[in-house]
Amino acid sequence: MKMSKPFRICLVLLLCLTLTGCQAARVSPSRQYNVWFIAKSTSTGFWRSAFSGANVAKSEYNLQLTICGPDTEEDYEAQNAFIYDAIADHADAIVFSSISYTENAAAIDAAADAGIKVVVIDSNVNSKKVSARIGTDNVAAGKKAASVAIDAGYDSLVIGIVNFDLTSRNGQEREEGFRTAIKESGIGAEIYTINVVTDIEVAKEETKQLLLAHPEINVIVGLNEPLAVGAAEAVAELGLGDSVTMIGMDTNVRCIDLMRTGNVSALIAQNPYAMGYMGVEACYELLEGASYDPDVWIDTPTILVLEETMFSPESQRALFSFE
Amino acid sequence: MKRKSPRMNLLLLVSMISTVLILLLLTMFLVLRAYRTSLVANVRTSGSRTVGQLTRIMEDYLSDIRENMDAISDVVSHDIVNREEYFDVFLQIRPEVIAVTTYDAEGNLLHCYSADHVINESFAAHTNLSFDASKINLYEEEYISAPHVVTLFEGYYPWVVTVIRPIHTVIGEAWIALDISCTNLSNDIDDVGIGDRGYCFLMDMDGNIVYHPQQQLIYSDLKEENVALISSLDDGVIEEGTSIYFVQTLKESTWRIIGVSYVQDVISNSVINMARALLVSAIGILLASLLLSAMVTNALTRPMRDLIQAMEAFEKDADHFSYQPVKGTREIEEVSQSFGHMVGKIQQLVETERNEEITLRKTELRALQAQINPHFLYNTLDSISWMCEQGKNAEAVEMVNALARLFRISISRGHELIPLADELKHAESYLQIQSVRYRGQFTYRFEVEESLLSYLCNKITLQPIIENAIYHGINGLVEEGEIIVKAAEAGDDILLSVEDNGMGMTEEQIDSIMKKAHSDKSGIGIKNVNDRLKIYFGDRYGITIDSVPDEGTRVHILMPKVTEEAAYENV
Repeated sequence: MKMSKPFRICLVLLLCLTLTGCQAARVSPSRQYNVWFIAKSTSTGFWRSAFSGANVAKSEYNLQLTICGPDTEEDYEAQNAFIYDAIADHADAIVFSSISYTENAAAIDAAADAGIKVVVIDSNVNSKKVSARIGTDNVAAGKKAASVAIDAGYDSLVIGIVNFDLTSRNGQEREEGFRTAIKESGIGAEIYTINVVTDIEVAKEETKQLLLAHPEINVIVGLNEPLAVGAAEAVAELGLGDSVTMIGMDTNVRCIDLMRTGNVSALIAQNPYAMGYMGVEACYELLEGASYDPDVWIDTPTILVLEETMFSPESQRALFSFE
Repeated sequence: MKRKSPRMNLLLLVSMISTVLILLLLTMFLVLRAYRTSLVANVRTSGSRTVGQLTRIMEDYLSDIRENMDAISDVVSHDIVNREEYFDVFLQIRPEVIAVTTYDAEGNLLHCYSADHVINESFAAHTNLSFDASKINLYEEEYISAPHVVTLFEGYYPWVVTVIRPIHTVIGEAWIALDISCTNLSNDIDDVGIGDRGYCFLMDMDGNIVYHPQQQLIYSDLKEENVALISSLDDGVIEEGTSIYFVQTLKESTWRIIGVSYVQDVISNSVINMARALLVSAIGILLASLLLSAMVTNALTRPMRDLIQAMEAFEKDADHFSYQPVKGTREIEEVSQSFGHMVGKIQQLVETERNEEITLRKTELRALQAQINPHFLYNTLDSISWMCEQGKNAEAVEMVNALARLFRISISRGHELIPLADELKHAESYLQIQSVRYRGQFTYRFEVEESLLSYLCNKITLQPIIENAIYHGINGLVEEGEIIVKAAEAGDDILLSVEDNGMGMTEEQIDSIMKKAHSDKSGIGIKNVNDRLKIYFGDRYGITIDSVPDEGTRVHILMPKVTEEAAYENV
C-alpha cells in the first residue's frame, strides 16, 4: 500500500531513536569523574592518612583521582598552581585544604567559576563558592581537651596553652572551646597562653620558659601536632610528667611514646583518614546532584585517648593507622 | 437513539495496541525476573568460587607460617649457637614477621628478635599486647590472637596478629610468639572482588576482623561490618537482607574468609539499567506498533470509507454515477469489483426499464393517434351530407378530399415522423374542415419558411393545438377570430407556433392543459404532444404556452431539425 511520506520519516526516526536509546542506556554508567585532591603537604602522617582515605573513596566510587600538595605547608603559591592545573585538566571536582585563608581564595573562585565543585577539608578558604566543608569541630576538640583538665582532680587550675599563630582560625577555635569549657566547669582557673610558630623545637623552648616562669602551672595544652610534641617534650625534659597534666592534639608517634612514659596524659585524635574519604565522597555526591550546605562544617569526629586506656581496642584504632 | 457502533479503525487500533502492550509488559516482566535470577545465581557462583580460592590461598599462607614456626621451634629448642644469625636471615626473608618473642613458663619475656627495631624493655614490661601472661592457658595449643599493635618498640606500632605456640625445651623457654603484620595480607585480599562492589575479608571466630580491605575505614567509623550477624553464620552462602555473605572457615584454624556482595547494589542496579533499556525499547516498539497499526487500519478503513462514499453517491444518483474502482487490500478490491459489477448491472436494468417505459409510452401514444374523434367525424360527415343536400357538390368534394387527406396523413403508412410539409397539410385539412363546421367564426393562414418543409416532425403535432385554439379560443368569440400557424427556423431547431386572437387562457387553464393526459374528447391531447416531443427529442424540446386573457394565445413548439427518421423512430 501507499504510505504517506511523513509517515515513513516518522517510522525511520522512531527506529533510530529506539536504537540510540538502547545504546545510551548501556553506555552511560561508564563515565569516570576527574577529581583532584590538593593538600597542604604530601609528607606528613596526617596527610598520608588523608590520602589513603581518599584513595579508598576513589576506588569505591570509581573516580579518577589526582593527589598533589606542596613540599612545605607554607607554599600557598604552589597550591594555586595546582588549582590552575586542575582547571586545565578539566577536573570535575577539587578536594582542597587551604594553606592560606586569603591567598588561595582567588584561585578557588576561578576553579568554581570553571564549573568545578570545590570541597574544603580541614582548613577553610575565603571563598563563597565552596560547595562543602568537612573537618574537625575545633571548638568541640577544645572542649574535649578541657574535660581532661577538669577531670584531673585539681582544686584549682593553672593552665598553659601553647597555641599557634593568632591568625589561625583552627587554633583560635580550639582555644575558645577550651576556655569556654573551663569557665563552665566552675573550677577556678588561671590561663597563660603563648602563641608560637608551628615548630617542635620552638614550641619546646617556649613551653620550657613558660613552665619555668610559672612553676604553679599544672595543665599544659598543645593545640596542634608539632606544638603538642614540643610541649610534651618540654614537660618530659623538665621532669614534670607526674605533676603536670599534658594534653595534646593529634597522634604523633612521639606523643604516643611520651604518653607511654607518663609525660602525656591525653591526646585528641583527629580523623584525617575520614576527611580524605569524606572529601572525595562529597565530590562524587555533589557531581551526582546531591547538595551540601557549605556554611555548615561536616564534623569528622575526634577521639579522646587517655594514658590509662591507650591500648584499649578503641584507642588503638584511634592512635595507630592501619597502613 | 441507538448508540453509534465504534469505527473499525478505532477498534483495530485499540486491539492491536493493547495486544502489543500486554505482550511487552509480560515479556518485560519475564525477562527481568529471569535476568535477576540469573544475576543472583551468577553472583552466588562467582562469589563461592572466589571465596574458595581465597580460602586455599590463606590456608597455604597459614601452613607456611606453621612450617616457619616448626623451624623456629627447632632452632629455639635445640639452643643452636648461631641463633642470632638465624633470626637475622629469617626476618630478612619474612618481612611480614615484625617480631619473634620467647617467654618462660610463667610468661616472662626472654628474647625479642626484630629486623630493624630494638625492644624497649620498660615499654614491653609495662604493656605487651603480643603475649598476655594471664592467658597462658589459652596458649596450650597453637593460638592466633586478634589484631593489635606491637607495643615492644619505641616509635613503631604496626598492626599485627600474634601466633603463639608452646615449645618443649630443657632450658626454660616455654612459649614462642610470632607477630605477623596484618597489612601484609592486603596483597592477597584487597583485590579479590565479588561482582562490582563485593569484597572479601578475614575474621576470626570471636568476630574480630583480622584483615579487611577497608580496615582503616572501619577504624575511622566510616564503615561498619555487621560483625555480630556474620560471626553467627555457618559456612556457606547466606542471603541476608540486602547482602549475600559467603562464609568459609579455614582448615585447622580459627580464621574465616567472609565474602560480601551487595545484592541490592549490584543486582538492582543492573536490573534497573536493564529495565530502563527495556522500557526505552518497549516505548519504541509501542510507538512503532502504534504507527504501524495506524497505517494498517488506515489501509483497511480508507478504501472502506471510499467504498461507502461511492455507495452513498450511487444511492443518491444512480443514473449519473460513474464507478471508480477503490484501491486497497485484495479483499477490499474484490468487494469493490463486485460493487462495480452490481452498479453496472443496476444501471443496465434501469436503462432497460426506462427504454421499455418509453416504448410503452410511444405505443400508447400511437394508439391514441389512431383514434378518431367520433364527434369530429360525425360532424364532418354531417357537414358533407348537408352540402350534398344543398347541391354544393364542389364544396362537398373539397370537404371529402380534406377528410381523406387528414386520414391519409394520420396513417402515413405507419411512420411516426413525417415531413413538415405533410404535417402542415394535415393541419390545413383539419382547419379546412373545421372552418366549414365553424363557418364564419375564424379565418386562418400559414406563415411557413419554405426551407423547413423537408424536415421531419411528429405527425399530429399541430392538430391538437389547433383543436384547442378553436375550442377554447375562437369558440365563443363574438367577432371573427384568426388562427396563424407559423414555422420558423431557430438556429439548429425549428419553432412551430399556433397563434389565435381568441379568449386567451389563465395560468390555471394552461396548467390543466399541460397536465391533463386526455382532453374530454378522445384523440391526442396537448400534454401527450408535449410528452411525445420530449420522449423523442429530449427535455429541452416541447411546448410552451403564452396566453393573455381576452387577447389570445400563442403556443410554441420547439423541435430539432430532423432529416432522418431512423435516428428517432426506433428509440
